[in-house]
Amino acid sequence: MTHQVPLTIIAKIKPDRMDNLKQLLGKMNEDAESNNIIPFVKFSQVHFARFVILEESRDLDNKVIQPSIVFSSEIDAPLEGYFNDLVDVTGEGLDQIYSHCEGYPTPGERTRQSRLAYLHAHQVEIQAFYVNTVGRTVQQIHQEAKLRDQIEDFLDRQQAKQDLSSWDGMSVRQAVREFVKGERSLNWALTPAIPSFGWLVGETIHFISGLLIILIGLLVFLPFSPIYAAILRYKEERDAQQDRVRLSSRERGELAIREDHVVQNQFSAVGLIKPGWFRLTTVRVLLWLVNFTSRHIFNNGNLAGVPALNLDGVDTIHFARWIIIDEGRRVLFMSNYDGSLESYMNDFINKVAWGLNAVFSNGVGYPKTRWLILDGAKDEQAFKAFLHRHQIVTQVWYTAYPQLTAVNLANNAQIRAGLSKTLNQQETEAWLRRL
Amino acid sequence: MATLKLQDIQGIIVRGYSNLDAACFVLLRIRDAAATRQWLSTLSDQIQNSQDRPAETCINIAFTFEGLKALGLDQQTLDTFPTEFKEGMTAPYKSRFLGDQGDNAPNLWDWGGTDSAPVHILLMLYAMDEVRLTTMYEALAGAFATGGIEQIRKLETFTLKDERGASREHFGFRDAIGQPIIEGLSRVGSPDNTIKAGEFILGYPNEYGLFTETPTVSAQHDRHNLLPNGQNGSREHDLGRNGSYLVFRQLSQKVQEFWRFLDGVTQKTDGASDSEARLKLAAKMVGRWPDGTPLVEAPDQDNSDMEDQNEFAYHHSDPYGFKCPFGAHIRRSNPRDSLDPQPGTQRSIAVNKTHRLLRRGRSYGKPVSPSLNPQEMLNTEASGERGLHFICISANISRQFEFVQQAWVNNPKFNGLYSDADPLIGDRGRNEEVSFDRFTVQATPVRQCVNGLPSFVQVRGGAYFFLPGINAIRFLASFS
Repeated sequence: MTHQVPLTIIAKIKPDRMDNLKQLLGKMNEDAESNNIIPFVKFSQVHFARFVILEESRDLDNKVIQPSIVFSSEIDAPLEGYFNDLVDVTGEGLDQIYSHCEGYPTPGERTRQSRLAYLHAHQVEIQAFYVNTVGRTVQQIHQEAKLRDQIEDFLDRQQAKQDLSSWDGMSVRQAVREFVKGERSLNWALTPAIPSFGWLVGETIHFISGLLIILIGLLVFLPFSPIYAAILRYKEERDAQQDRVRLSSRERGELAIREDHVVQNQFSAVGLIKPGWFRLTTVRVLLWLVNFTSRHIFNNGNLAGVPALNLDGVDTIHFARWIIIDEGRRVLFMSNYDGSLESYMNDFINKVAWGLNAVFSNGVGYPKTRWLILDGAKDEQAFKAFLHRHQIVTQVWYTAYPQLTAVNLANNAQIRAGLSKTLNQQETEAWLRRL
Repeated sequence: MATLKLQDIQGIIVRGYSNLDAACFVLLRIRDAAATRQWLSTLSDQIQNSQDRPAETCINIAFTFEGLKALGLDQQTLDTFPTEFKEGMTAPYKSRFLGDQGDNAPNLWDWGGTDSAPVHILLMLYAMDEVRLTTMYEALAGAFATGGIEQIRKLETFTLKDERGASREHFGFRDAIGQPIIEGLSRVGSPDNTIKAGEFILGYPNEYGLFTETPTVSAQHDRHNLLPNGQNGSREHDLGRNGSYLVFRQLSQKVQEFWRFLDGVTQKTDGASDSEARLKLAAKMVGRWPDGTPLVEAPDQDNSDMEDQNEFAYHHSDPYGFKCPFGAHIRRSNPRDSLDPQPGTQRSIAVNKTHRLLRRGRSYGKPVSPSLNPQEMLNTEASGERGLHFICISANISRQFEFVQQAWVNNPKFNGLYSDADPLIGDRGRNEEVSFDRFTVQATPVRQCVNGLPSFVQVRGGAYFFLPGINAIRFLASFS
């Protein structure tokens, strides 16, 4: 089984090149799939990709943060293969983009090696990565979508010929299986997608060692926890309640044009971390936990959902990542989600406010929290205003399967899985309801 | 529970005026702000509040953002209105999610569109009969010229009723059954359908227990002290108090196309119409039988005991959509307890309550056949236009109207579906290279699908309006 990995490359933009670069990216975004700079559709391992510009900004000490460009992709492993493909397939496209950035090889020096070296040198580690369903590759997604479409067409055709309502479920499923068997191009679907043994062992070892680290960490932290809690509450009360920025003051032209597409959307936001080591350490530890739980617990389509604890999850996020940038001064958050921005924000408020609070309340201007996880996002309009205020334009956005939601993907995978399994009457009925 | 200031709330929020059968909506443009304020000052005493039920006639009034500007409201105050109201209904990126593309594009609208005259004021006139309505309208219209206003359009209405006197819409279905009940009014109902007043009226706690952001005026601008102080100790004066927002969309209904399409897809193998299957499929699309009986309670045929039944939920009685399909119009415009988190529980209902709309629309145009019988509607030679003046009221346009339109009605992925927009009013999305023109009827042993649904409604006009409280109207009239 192939797992999914994030790529993040951040490069400083030369002072006088911003406008040119934006124009170039704008042209690219007119056709993110097949543009002649980086035609993403040629990379069969890419789920999503984007270019985001971080405009010049100032930190809390009023020091200038130089503008930079972030290139990110969510891909099927291995990462090294993607690096190679990028320089081999779109080396000149990379030149066009990164010649606007500091330190890029001059025209005479541009070789496969020097481009590769540049990308490697500007790759940054990310602190947390969420994958909706670990192990589901782009190829599998396309195949399973095709499978579902063809089964639906088959059923439509059968029902046009005859009334199936008197059939029992077993016979309908049998007919579907026969159809799939008879279609050469769908034969693969009769074998289930199974993770490799080696991968499972590796993940288990990673999980257990992570749990040990958490356990040791907790033991070390426990004696200090009252002090931590006291400092936290002191800071929460002291952090001046930011003026409620009115939603009305929001200028969203550039952002609005690029969002609220029917099926999938992107979100990019950047914000300053509250000053001092306390908040930076808190956010680092929490993001480590987000990353760990995303990999081992929330790795199957339901972010933050824990039925046993009565915690609701969110099933509309394909990928999300958190990166601490600018030497610990800011956090960059980027996600790919289904539905409208309004419903995305409502999900945060209604379902996973505690989780959002824990991470984002370490950011400047976040609605006031208590005990890290209470209140915060529950202040609906203040929270939405916070997100709007920190949202930034995604200059280029690519998705490999724009017409499918994460819920669709999971359903398609289950349709495929149900073809090869032995199902009893009840399971058969449940499987047929997926169609 | 907050006590509602009924004498300051416009009557249309609390009542649909079902006793006043005649109504018209007049769209106005301001030509001379000072004259209009004078006119408004006189009119403000005639605006119907929510205290009493009007016996014969009444008037309500609302303003677009452009209208407030044209009236001369200062920039500082204008800035305090929410973004979605300021942007209006026709911003290009809104058209995408409101479904206003192709034939529905705002440049083709009769009013409120990008190529039509700006609409500033909406006057809503109601009367017990056409004679009184005409008299009232003529008296008002006589003052338009001196009031510095120009009439853009007068939208007529037509009250459609069935033999029992219940209100129907042009496709032939009972309408306006599933209204939310505003907490704090004398009318009571099931707790699941009783919504905090703040969802529909500014100045009261909403379903999150918070005050929805409201437009404000600086104290020195409110010289006659007409407005109350803002919430949470704010020094600003509250222009929104007891007001709300009103969304108006003129939806032309293609009644014969609707029944012809259903007739075509339900024909027997020999090509003969199957009136029973036709009616059943129509009911599956709506989620109720024509008389209003909900499918989830009576999946096989209507039942006159249940025709205005509104106390039902979906998850426990119909978790798989076998009775009322997931994509049915009423199941997606008010999913009740059927969505995450935790369908079938109060958690689900609590979220649903943050997306409710108070509907105050009226039909227009002569019915294809007064009997509203599908066969007769098919057989009749129909001419002219008919449809619905859709009106809904919500305190937060983006979380209520726009959300419902985008995340539920026009969302082809609603509740796990793939390419099913609302079968009655949904956008078929033909601009995005794929079509959302499928209607899935969940069934055993396996679903049945109708493909290639055409659009059955066309948007002909629309705008977002601010529906001020009575004192706020007086403030708008006195402002200079």
